[in-house]
Amino acid sequence: MMNKYVSGLYLTLIMIGLLFLAACGTADDATADSNAEGQAEENAEKPVLRVGTEATFAPFEFLEKGEIVGFDADLLDAVLTEAGYEYEYENVGWDPMMASLQNKDMDFGAAAITINDDRKQTYDFSVPYFKSTHMIVFNEGAGFTSAKDLEGIKIGVQNGTTGESAAEKVVGEKNSNILKYDSTAVAFLALKNGDVDAVVTDNVVADEYVEKNPDANVEAITDDETFSAEYYGFMFPKGSELVAEVDAALTTVIENGTYAKIYKEWFGAEPNTDVLLEAAE
Amino acid sequence: MAEYFDINIVIEYMPYFLKGALLTIGVSIVGILFGCILGMFIGMGKMIKKWYFNFPFVWYINFFRGTPLIVQLFLFHFAVLPAMFDSVSATTSLMVTLSLNSAAYVAEIFRAGIKSLDRGQAEAARSLGMSKIQVMRYVVLPQAFKRMIPPLGNEFIVLLKDSALGAMIAAPELFYWGRAAVGEYYRVWEAYIMVALFYLVLTLSLTYLLNYLERRLDTE
Repeated sequence: MMNKYVSGLYLTLIMIGLLFLAACGTADDATADSNAEGQAEENAEKPVLRVGTEATFAPFEFLEKGEIVGFDADLLDAVLTEAGYEYEYENVGWDPMMASLQNKDMDFGAAAITINDDRKQTYDFSVPYFKSTHMIVFNEGAGFTSAKDLEGIKIGVQNGTTGESAAEKVVGEKNSNILKYDSTAVAFLALKNGDVDAVVTDNVVADEYVEKNPDANVEAITDDETFSAEYYGFMFPKGSELVAEVDAALTTVIENGTYAKIYKEWFGAEPNTDVLLEAAE
Repeated sequence: MAEYFDINIVIEYMPYFLKGALLTIGVSIVGILFGCILGMFIGMGKMIKKWYFNFPFVWYINFFRGTPLIVQLFLFHFAVLPAMFDSVSATTSLMVTLSLNSAAYVAEIFRAGIKSLDRGQAEAARSLGMSKIQVMRYVVLPQAFKRMIPPLGNEFIVLLKDSALGAMIAAPELFYWGRAAVGEYYRVWEAYIMVALFYLVLTLSLTYLLNYLERRLDTE
């Protein structure tokens, strides 16, 4: 008798469990369906793209009253409008962006990302859209004149960026004098604070910082012999099918003058688009 | 999931993880030590009955318990400490912030430990002719301390894990080197798994140490 009761109890429990699972299943299906329908109404076949960035890199991407603005933001809008995609531009941070792209959670990254061979092993890139070099920013009076002066001083960089590689090329990899920060903005804070003696970062960002912070009393120098020129591109997960479409749209935007307009708006000068188109080939 | 686990990254960064773990341990010990000493005084301060004596202690606890640790860290490293001293390293700022923060929690643990004892014990000891200080020293504190060990242990473990926030101001502790490894290779599994393992070993060691202490002090 007892056994019967017990097995009856088990059966009931299993039934309740199954019912619960079934209920969950249908609930999930329902939301998935409604999402798909919602997207289908907005856009016949193209999905809404998820584009990641790290918005502390003025003037390329930074937050203004909570909105991501900057050169990259405007260029991204022009390119994806040209390609006919809707998109969401999300400020997820540098390392999470890298991870999301590796896991294919995001469609691509637009964050002044330098194209280099290391990264090409794990990711795919669009054609280049910007030419850049590195600069050393330091407090006035330090009197640095070339990259050689970086030896023996504390250098601030943003973790995982090419500014870090540029500094490492001078003083060696994993040198404990290189302090790696979460963002370039915090690296500049550390310079002001005296935690580091110099910050190595992309020239446009350095120029912007020097110009916008006259009270900070900083200088910036470049060293063409040590720091080679580099190109920025949109970064995709390896094997992404989007690359060709975005490439075509980006080339159109560069050729039809939209690019020059955006460039002039943010940097106040005419771009050398020939260099970009040449580098694309 | 990554296609494979690149053990070379782990091997290459092992000396740095070890170095970082040492700093994590050092920073945590300093934080626990100063947090306990300071926390005891603040806990006692909060127990003073007159409001004009206890309000600085009450507000100390309100501030440090009521604001995020990472905000306190940035506030102290970039604003408060530079205003007071010439140059403060990120590691020092981390130690100071962790100590001040944990002091607030220790103060409450301390207060709760003392309040948990039956009033009758202190009254009985007083009636035997012990002074207020003697009552504290020989009757209340020894028993309260025993009761404070489990919550204190929790607090120490939280503090050890929170020291990872130091990576945000480039204090070269364990998580800082994990992020550096990810920054170099753009591979997330290897370094973060290693860092997590290191933290797990550290917190588990601390747990067993505290369990041992609890057993030693057990009178039942």
